[in-house]
Amino acid sequence: MPPLPEPMPPRLVPDWLRVWGDRAGQFVTWVSQWSIEQRVLAGFGLVFLGILVISVMSYRNTAVVVKNSRLDTSSHELIQLLGSIEEALIAAESGHRRYLVTGDESYLKAYRGLVEQMPEFSRYLQALSGPSGQEERIRELEQLIQQQLDIETEAIRQRSTQGAEAVRHLALPGVAKRELDDIHRLMSELESSAQQATRTRVLQSAGTTRSTIALLALGAMLQFVLLGSVYFLIHHDITNRRRAAAELRRQGELLQAANKELEAFSYSVSHDLRAPLRHIDGYAALLSKTVGEALNDKARRYLQTISDSAKQMGQLIDDLLVFSRMGRQEMLHSTVNLNQLIRTVIHDLRLDLQGKTISWTIGSLPEVPGDPAMLRQVFMNLLTNAVKFTATRPTPSIEIGTTRDSPGEVTVFVRDNGVGFDMQYVNKLFGVFQRLHRNDEFEGTGIGLANVRRIIHRHGGRTWAEGALDQGATFYLSLPLKRTSS
Amino acid sequence: MTTVKPILLAEDNPRDAELALAAMEEHHIADKVVVCHDGAEVLDYLYCRGAFKSRECGNPVVVFLDLKMPKVDGIEVLRTIKNDANLKPIPVVMLTSSREERDLAQSYALGANAYVVKPVEFQQFISAVKELGVFWGVLNEPPPEGN
Repeated sequence: MPPLPEPMPPRLVPDWLRVWGDRAGQFVTWVSQWSIEQRVLAGFGLVFLGILVISVMSYRNTAVVVKNSRLDTSSHELIQLLGSIEEALIAAESGHRRYLVTGDESYLKAYRGLVEQMPEFSRYLQALSGPSGQEERIRELEQLIQQQLDIETEAIRQRSTQGAEAVRHLALPGVAKRELDDIHRLMSELESSAQQATRTRVLQSAGTTRSTIALLALGAMLQFVLLGSVYFLIHHDITNRRRAAAELRRQGELLQAANKELEAFSYSVSHDLRAPLRHIDGYAALLSKTVGEALNDKARRYLQTISDSAKQMGQLIDDLLVFSRMGRQEMLHSTVNLNQLIRTVIHDLRLDLQGKTISWTIGSLPEVPGDPAMLRQVFMNLLTNAVKFTATRPTPSIEIGTTRDSPGEVTVFVRDNGVGFDMQYVNKLFGVFQRLHRNDEFEGTGIGLANVRRIIHRHGGRTWAEGALDQGATFYLSLPLKRTSS
Repeated sequence: MTTVKPILLAEDNPRDAELALAAMEEHHIADKVVVCHDGAEVLDYLYCRGAFKSRECGNPVVVFLDLKMPKVDGIEVLRTIKNDANLKPIPVVMLTSSREERDLAQSYALGANAYVVKPVEFQQFISAVKELGVFWGVLNEPPPEGN
């Protein structure tokens, strides 16, 4: 089978168009990756740029029209001026010719008037030569006028000094006939070219006015687009906000329902879970009492273990309930004097100490905003721990103080010289049911520090700990000095 | 004062009732105890109706009331007692597993005379019930019987 010819792409579109099509495609893909804010910004930027360009162009068009009308005025003036000058020149020429013939000085009036007026005419011409763009011709015109005047002056001088005979040959044809013709030709040229320029300018002004109107229409359209987009965006934003608020409300209701359920659950735990435990312990005790002396040591130990386990589970349930209540309970917002609080807690602990002597070092502690009962629980837990874990020490010592006061918060620490802990387990310390010691070493349910952390978090603070095995432990908590919501 | 006034124990859980009786046994006051198993029975007893139609009428010296009971719960019984001028003087001790603040507050608001949380530990339970029985059933002078 012969190999199929390679399929050629249909060459319906020229290469450059395909290249540009590809580029446009890439651009669209690129734009579609933008965030909504970037797109909005780009769109507004484009519209603003358009309006700016239109404004600049309209301004320039208007400037052209204004300039043209000024030029028209000066062209008009130039034509008028040329007319006046020509008239004056003709009058002066014919007057001086009559003087040459008659010697009557009154014929020189036009000539003298022209000589007198010439500097002024010259100044006008200079002023109008700039805008008309015909400096060359005007300079030539001035030269010619000057020449004519010079010739006439010379003829008048000869007539007055040498008499009529000397200038007879000059008088009849006129001394400056040739110059006058040249001047006339030049002036016609000037006039027609000024008129030509005016016509061009009129056409140009009409064109720019039309384009200005078109540009202004385009600008108005762009502004409508801008206004429409702003309306759309605001509408979109408000709709989104409403939707988010509704969603938030729904979530809040769900959360409230979940909270109620949790409350019912913990109520049930509190009430129903405790009863069987009470029965286990109670009947074990009744059994032990009923059988009495007949029990051997082993059986007595078994019964004791049953009782102990039931009691332990009861303690666990109580601690869990406290923990769950700490998370849900409404916080009381008042001011707590930590010095006083610590003193009360230590006083309450004295019963448990049972004659153990502990060296207490208590620094000066500040007043903080917070819930008194919750903060009491915090220090109760921390100090009970400190007492518990220093129990095996010959000289237990516990220190309470503040440290590293950063602005806006206070850091309180509880340091003991007890059994300490290995820093690699520091992250487990504050977890629920996390214990670093076996139950036969130190009793506990592993919920105390979890409670501490939960309460301090609700106060807007942080908890952390430092320690080393057999070298004591330090527990830190930071509390904001200003009230935070929770 | 010829008849010994009874102690009314409202407890739906027979095991709890048995344990409570065992505790009172130690102080020989168990024979004074009448056990009701739900709120309706308590009200029947207090109003001498239903199963208690034939009993010699008179208020008990104290009512130990569990909160969670079938039919009529403890709070409802408490409300009925404290709203009845004749029953109102009877001391009512809430004896319950619940440590919930809500229950405590509601009970005291309705006029409970005491609120005791049943301890898990049997020894504590025994001494609690014993002390309660002795205090309210023996030591405490009950209010004079109204006519």
